[in-house]
Order: sequence, then structure tokens, then C-alpha cells
Amino acid sequence: MAISSTPTAAALLLISILFLLTTQGTPLSSDTIVSELSSLRSQSSTGVVHLTDSLLRRILSLPTPRPFHSLIFFDAHQLHSKPELSLPTLKSEFSLVSSSFQSNNPNENPQLFFFDIEFQESQASFALFGVNSLPHIRLIPPTASDLKLDSIQMDASDLSRMAESMAEFIESRTKLSVGPINRPPIISKKQIMFIVAVVLIWTPFFVKKLISGNTIFNDKNIWMAGAIFVYFFSVSGAMFNIIRKMPMFMADRQDPSKLVFFYQGSGMQLGAEGFSIGFLYTIVGLLLAFVTHVLVRVKNRTAQRLVMIFVLFVSFWAVKKVVFLDNWKTGYGIHGYWPSSWQ
Amino acid sequence: MAPPETPQPTTLRHAFGNVLSVFVLLLIGVFAFSIRLFSVIKYESVIHEFDPYFNYRVTQYLTKSGVYDFWNWFDDRTWYPLGRVIGGTVYPGLTLTAGTLWRILNSLNIPLSVETVCVFTAPIFSAFASWATYLLTKEVKGAGAGLTAAALLAMVPSYISRSVAGSYDNEAVAIFALILTFYLYIKTLNTGSLFYATLNAMAYFYMVCSWGGYTFIINLIPMHVLLCIVTGRYSPRLYIAYAPLVVLGTLLAALVPVVGFNAVMTSEHFASFLVFIIIHVVALVYYIKGILTPQMFKVAVTLVVSVGLIVCGAVLAVLIALVASSPTKGWSGRSLSLLDPTYASKYIPIIASVSEHQPPTWPSYFMDINVLAFLVPAGIIACFLPLSDASSFAVLYIVTSVYFSGVMVRLMLVLAPAACIMSGIALSEAFDVFTRSIKFQLLGSTENLQVNNAGESTNVAQNDVVKTEKNEDSQKERSSRKSKKKEKESTERVPLVSRIEQKLLVLPLETSLIAVFLLVLLGAFYVVHCVWAAAEAYSAPSIVLTSRSHDGLHVFDDFREAYSWLSHNTEVDDKVASWWDYGYQTTAMANRTVIVDNNTWNNTHIATVGTAMSSPEKAAWDIFNSLDVKYVLVVFGGLVGYPSDDINKFLWMVRIGGGVFPHIKEPDYLRDGQYRIDSQATPTMLNCLMYKLSYYRFVETDGKGFDRVRHTEIGKKYFKLTHFEEVFTTHHWMVRIYKLKSPRNRIRGKTKKSKSKASSTTSSKRSGTRKKNPWH
Repeated sequence: MAISSTPTAAALLLISILFLLTTQGTPLSSDTIVSELSSLRSQSSTGVVHLTDSLLRRILSLPTPRPFHSLIFFDAHQLHSKPELSLPTLKSEFSLVSSSFQSNNPNENPQLFFFDIEFQESQASFALFGVNSLPHIRLIPPTASDLKLDSIQMDASDLSRMAESMAEFIESRTKLSVGPINRPPIISKKQIMFIVAVVLIWTPFFVKKLISGNTIFNDKNIWMAGAIFVYFFSVSGAMFNIIRKMPMFMADRQDPSKLVFFYQGSGMQLGAEGFSIGFLYTIVGLLLAFVTHVLVRVKNRTAQRLVMIFVLFVSFWAVKKVVFLDNWKTGYGIHGYWPSSWQ
Repeated sequence: MAPPETPQPTTLRHAFGNVLSVFVLLLIGVFAFSIRLFSVIKYESVIHEFDPYFNYRVTQYLTKSGVYDFWNWFDDRTWYPLGRVIGGTVYPGLTLTAGTLWRILNSLNIPLSVETVCVFTAPIFSAFASWATYLLTKEVKGAGAGLTAAALLAMVPSYISRSVAGSYDNEAVAIFALILTFYLYIKTLNTGSLFYATLNAMAYFYMVCSWGGYTFIINLIPMHVLLCIVTGRYSPRLYIAYAPLVVLGTLLAALVPVVGFNAVMTSEHFASFLVFIIIHVVALVYYIKGILTPQMFKVAVTLVVSVGLIVCGAVLAVLIALVASSPTKGWSGRSLSLLDPTYASKYIPIIASVSEHQPPTWPSYFMDINVLAFLVPAGIIACFLPLSDASSFAVLYIVTSVYFSGVMVRLMLVLAPAACIMSGIALSEAFDVFTRSIKFQLLGSTENLQVNNAGESTNVAQNDVVKTEKNEDSQKERSSRKSKKKEKESTERVPLVSRIEQKLLVLPLETSLIAVFLLVLLGAFYVVHCVWAAAEAYSAPSIVLTSRSHDGLHVFDDFREAYSWLSHNTEVDDKVASWWDYGYQTTAMANRTVIVDNNTWNNTHIATVGTAMSSPEKAAWDIFNSLDVKYVLVVFGGLVGYPSDDINKFLWMVRIGGGVFPHIKEPDYLRDGQYRIDSQATPTMLNCLMYKLSYYRFVETDGKGFDRVRHTEIGKKYFKLTHFEEVFTTHHWMVRIYKLKSPRNRIRGKTKKSKSKASSTTSSKRSGTRKKNPWH
């Protein structure tokens, strides 16, 4: 491979070797690079090769067309804590694609390498690609010579559906088949076997207990608490928080030191907001039930009176608060329709 | 003296209570009907939105051609040239109901139009629904709770939103059917009567006819049966309530064409069959236990359990094999997204994108069930004290429906009746306690004076309280009344004892008074909110629009203007192309054939129309001409600021079109990822058919071409149409209708070329028409 027949290519090669020798001091050969990458890949459990400035430079110094595609995941450890970027998830999805690709295409000479690159140690490479925002995944085709122009950035829409859409992106741009994504099961097979065995052994005992009527399932207070909890959970809009992955609270846009707990606008809510309103919704009913079913049995008149005052005060405050917050949040002006002669 | 006298006041009181209940129920019915008339008063008696127009058209066909023709109806006025089998693809419940109503009224010589009947079907059925709620709640917690729940349901905003006059949609009758089915199930459970069991199956059949939401029933009732069995509450009544429902109900459900064999083949129904098997095994165990001695029974148990396990295992294996053979495990996407709320957002963007499938935030609950949200927990607890078969069903209903409503805002509609029942129970119990406290403490002094005939005086006082508070007797009092009848000898003592017992269970007078006052205030707030919601939020028909500005009320009746223009000025067989939103309305109001409509069953067809709208004039003309389209209808809001017009929906046309025809690419219509129609817009955007048809001659209105929806001046102001001609634009320019120019105009000097291309027959035809209409 390295020895070329045409004089121009040989000259080019010579120049690039000279160039490389001055910078790196390693002989240039695509074979050696590929074998080095393959070994690096086999060292990594997911098949993602960690890219450094020097390694990238060596890969790029290969004559185009290079024998392989490169897919690079730009990572920054300092941003892992930011939930809106969801870098850790994307990174694990990326390695999932990589391992699936490796297991589906067990090829000696791979056509595609997966890399990740860390911002802190390879800032030069980030600058080379002109990457200034994350998440960012970039494909370098074999023919690419100018990194900024010839490489292809993965769209946000391709990132959105996780590993499957990344695989589609690869398939459409490289004509390489990734194959089905092999997601590791949440619990391993051994664990499943163990759980099934435990459940099977436990079932007859449980059924026997159930028939005799002394499990927690025969205690109606448990059911009552469960029902109330489901109610609280639903009216607080927790399902909205889960599906939309809303944070509990967020920083104020104008003043980042302040925290915003209540979001104005009816299409959205924050986690803490939902739970506090859900609590207000539930507490009034619970207090009412307490008064009608428990407090009436109390013999002490003064205690009854004090508790009643407390209950009425809290209920009134809760209802008032919810009405106020609802008007503030939705901006509706709810009003009655009185006879016009009253005005 | 006393024994002959005491039964008289009780029966009298009973009769009085019944008459009062009937009267109150009548008022509730009138109220439920009248609160839904805001849309008729504020606008007019008109059918709302999009889907109701389809239902209206189907009803018209039914009344004209009869049931059999309706059943076999193949509609060639829509999805041209494919057509659509209507009879087999709709839930016929609503249509048959309104058709029957119309027929009855006509046979009574009350000549109402079909449209009037359709407009008022929903309010009528909401009155029925509140009566059904009364019956259901009465079975659960007595008549007082029933009346309260019925009153609450009559005005719950969530239900109003789907049942105002003119909102002629499936949910209008389905909620009534849902509550009725639950009532009959509970009634059967309480009485063990086969009569009610059969009625229950019929009600379930009506529900299946009406709405796809029947799967909620066929999963909730088995869940309740299972719960009863697990908690050791099995009884023959449970068997009678459940087994006939499954057998008859499934057979009847399979009669509805749109359900058919789905009633036995899809996973939504499997739970009922599994529980059907379990209840039989349990029934057998109980039967054997009854006829055997305890020793023999122990031997039998091992036998039955082992046989039962084998049978269950075999059935389970078959079920699993069946389920596993389908890709979605036999569940439809919507059902799956209920079980796993994150499912839809991950895998089915179409379902996730529809606004009524979004998860609700807390203000949605306050908007839709208002203060009931505060009362429901108290109702849940009241249902547990004491727990009966009926009250456990009510708890199960509220818990499942509140969970489902948390996943999809649309299912708030199913939650609303449950919330009303629970709040009715809570309110009635609370009033019971507070008014009792007030009554006994106010009467305390008078009672001391008249020790001798204390029983009578309190009886009279009780009557007064019933009159004023509308509060029916609680179960405790009722049970005391029953015991009275049984032990006639000690009639004097029992009520006294129970009264003394009750007297101990009171709260301080003044706090009770405040509590009653606050509860009434809460109820008043609920009424105000509901009336406001009915009047302002849920009554707009969206076919007639109004807007208030400083110079008064403006009415925009452009849609009907356009549709009646179509019906008066075009041939009966002309085809009209528009975006699918307006398909139902065009067929129903203009009676013209459309290419696509709101029943979005054929994506390719919709994509074809989307592609035509996104193409330049020539290409669009070719597409429309190949579909025999004569007229193209676009909705344009730029002049009056109507935001849901076709330009705002246009990106969906591009996306859907591009999904099938890849030469339409979304980025071509976006400038740097932004959708704009001003001078920065892309040339593809400025030359596409939708832009041209919307903004043709728009600059003539104000000289600048300022779009009031997008708040910009349009990019291309002066242009001519080559393949289309404007034939009609409504008063406010909201609907614009264009005619496809006939081919000759398009050719212009290239006649030779096209003639040689075209086949001889068409060219001769064309020349023939040209001779007839040389100026055309």
C-alpha cells in the first residue's frame, strides 16, 4: 500500500511522510493505523476508541480516501451534570451503536470506527472541527480532506430517537449496515431465572395466606392509602413531569441566582409546582374525611372545636391558594353572570 | 297509642322524600340540558367543528335511506377515487340514536329537521347521564349522595366540553352508556338478578356501538371481579353480575361491524376471558365446599387446584402464543401508551403529537373538574368506611380513571363521572354530619321540655331538615328504620337509642355552621366556574367565528358562505381538493366530492394532496388534474388574523407529502430552519401553490400585503396565476376557491407538440369542447 507506482503519488507520500516525521516521528501507513485502531477498539469494552489530538492528527494525515469512516462523539465531562444536554445518555447510546456494529459486523478490516473525544484534553481538535456546542456527533467520510466542510454533522433529529436513529444516520451516509441494536436487557438472564424461581416458590404460600386472609392485601387501610396516593400522583401532573422529563425547579432567566418553582403558562409545569398543588388538592379532601369520620367520635368538646377551626382554616386557605394560582397561571378571568339590574 | 301511629309518619316521610327526589332529578335534567345551550344562544343552532359534520351526514343518509342501506353504505363522495366503506368503519351508536329520535319525533307529528335533532342529542343525553349517575351513586352510598352526584355531573366542565348543543360526537352518548353500564353492573351485584344482568349486557352493547372507549369497561369490570375474589368477597351475585356480561356482551359486541372479531382477538379483551375462567374455578371451589364435609373438601381442594392449574396453564399458553405472534403484542398503540406512559413519546410520534393525547398539567384538572378535585379524596375514604362490593367498584373506577387521565388529557372525560360520584358521596356525608350536629344542638333545649313525646318531635324536626337541606337520609338512619319495621314491639325504644348514639357523634355547633357555610360557598364557586366554562370556553362552534373589538362584535361566517357557494355554483359531480381538515365539512355542507377528509385512513392520498399544495403551479395542476379535481379550496387567515389557516398548517403538508414523495424536502421551505413567508422566504416557498393561492391579489387589500397572523409583509406581492383562476373569495377572505384552468389555456402556442403527444380520442374530444366553448 505504501509503495506507490505513480511518481506524483509517491511525491505526495514522501512529502506527507516528511511532514509526519517532523511532527510525530512515526512512519505513516494506513495498515498500521488500522491495526492500531483495531487493537484500541478491542481493548475498549464497547468498541469506542478514545481519541486524542495526536491520534486524530495521525488519522487525518492518511491519504484520502482513507480505508474507513470515522464517527466521532464530542464529549465534555464538565457538562455531564447538565440535564438538558443529556450527554451521558447519548454517550451510552453511542457506545451501544458501536458495540452493536461490532457484533453484527465481525470484520477483520472494519469500515467504520467509533471515537469519543474529550474537550478538556483535546481542545485543539474541537477547534479543528469548529465544534462549539454539544451534543455533537460528526461523521468523517474517507474522502474528507477539510474537516469543517467535508465531515457531516448528525442532526438533532437523528440524535432524538437514540441508538436506532443514530444507526439510521450511519446507514444512510456510509452505506454500511449497523444491523439490529443489541440493547443489554435491564436484568440479566440469571437474575430473571432467580426471580422467576422465587416467585414460583412464593406463590403457593402467598395464595394460602391470601385465602386465610391475613396479608397486607386484606388490610383495607393499605388499599385506601394506595388509592389516595394514585389520586395525588395523577392530579399533581406527575405523569406530565415524567413524560416531559421536567425538572423540579429551574433557574430564573433574568436572574440565575433565583430559583423558579412556579411556571406561568398553562401548557407547562415544573415538578415541585405540581406536587405542591397536588398536595393542596388532596389535603382538603383528607381533612374533610377526617372531620366527618374521626373527629365526630372524639368526646372532648374543646379538642373538637380547636381541630375544627384548624381544619376549616387550612381548607379555606388551600382552596383560595389554588384558585389564586390557577388564575395567575392560566390568565382566565372566571366570573359569574349576574342579572344586569344588580349592577 | 304509639305503635299504630309511628309507621304513618315514616311512610309519609318516605313518600315525600321520593316525590322530592323525582322533582329534584327533573330539575337536574332540565339544568343539564339548559347549561349546554349557550352555544345555541350565543351563536345559533349549528353543528360544531369537523367530526360532527361527518356524523351529521351519516345521520342524514340513515334517515333518508334506512338502516340496511346505511349498514352497507359505500361512500363515493370522499377519498376520490377510492371511496370509503362507511357502514363498516364507524361506531353506529350515535347515528342510530339520533336517527331513532328523529323517527319517533316525526311519527308524533313533530317535524324537526335532522340537523336540529343532531344538535340537541348531546344535551338530551347529558340529562340522561346525570340520571344514570344518580342511580349508580344511589347503589353505592344512598339516595342523598346520588342526588348530589347527579347535580355535580350535570354541570361538570369536562363533560360539557364534549356535549354542548351542536357537538354531535360519539362521546355525547357514550358517557351516558358508560355510566349506565356501571350502574347496571352494580345493581346486578347488589341484587343478584339475572334480569339486570341481561340489561347490563345490553347497555354494554350500546356502549360498544357508541365509542371505542368501551375497552375501559371490559377491563375495569374484570379488574373489580378479580379484586373481589382476591379479597375474599366472592358470592353468587358476583358470578351472576359477571358471567352473563362476558358471554352476552362479547357476542353482542362482535355484532358491531367496526369491532367484529376484535372482540375475541385483541389483547384489550383478554383480561375479561382470563377472569371469566378464574371466576368459574372459584365458583366450582365454593360449590364443592358447600356439598362436601370439611375432610372430603381438603382432598377435593388438591384435586381441583391441580386440575384448575393445568387448565389455566393451557389457556395461558395459548393466549401468550397468540399475543406473541403480533408485533405490538396485540395491544393498540393508544392502549400501550396508557400502560407505559412514555411509550407514545418514544415510538409513535403521530399519537404523541395530537394535542388531546398530551399529559395534563395541574391547571387542566382545575379547569375540567374544578373543586371536585378537592372533594374526591374524602369520597374515596368514605367509600372505605364501610367497604362494600359497590363502593369498592367506585374506588377502582376513580383510581384507574384518574391514572389514565394523568397520561392523556382526553381521558379526563372518563374521570369526570367518577369524580362527580366521589364528590357527591363526600359532600353528602359532610352535610350529613354537619346538619346533624346543628339539628341536635339546636333542638337540645326543646327536647328537654317535651321528654314524653321526644320521638315524635324529632321526627317532625327531621322532616324539616330534609325539606330545607335536600339531604336524604343516611344509611345509618335507614338501617335504623329497617330494624324498626322488624321489631314492631320495641318501636319506641330503638329510634331513641339510635338517636342517643347519634347524638354523641356531633361536632360543635358554631364550627358546624361555618363548615356548612364554607361547603355551600365551595358549591357556589363550582356553579359559577361551570357556567363560565360552558359560556366562554366550550361553546365556540369553530365554524362560525366571532371576535370582540372596540367597535363591537364581529361575526365571521366565511366557511358556510364558501360551502354554500360551492353547492350552488358547481356541478354535483365536481371534485374539490382541500387539506384534509375541511373534508368532512365540504362533503356535509357543500355535498361535493373531496379527495381527502378527516378520517385519515390513507396516508398516501393525503401525501398526494400535500405534495400538490407544496409544488409549483404546473406540477400541482398535473397532480390535481390526474385526480379529476375541478376546484381547490384554501383557508386563509391573513386578512382577519385567523391563526389556524392553511399557511400555518403548511409545514405539515410538506412533511406528510415529503414522507411519501421524497422530492418534497422540508429544508427547501425553511430559511435557516425558520418558517417564514416574508421577503426572506425561500424561492420554493414563494412559488409553491399554497403560497400563491393564499396570497393571490392579497396586496390589493391594503396596498402592502401585511399578514395579520404572521405579522409581516408577504414576500412576493404581485404575481399572476397561470394554471388556476380565482372563482370565489369569501367576505373576510377566509376561504378562497380556485378553479383549475382547462388544459387549452395552459398550452398557448405549443398546441402542435401537445397534440402529437395526446391520444387521438382525447384531442378530438378537446377540439369538440373547444368548438362548443370558444371563449372558455
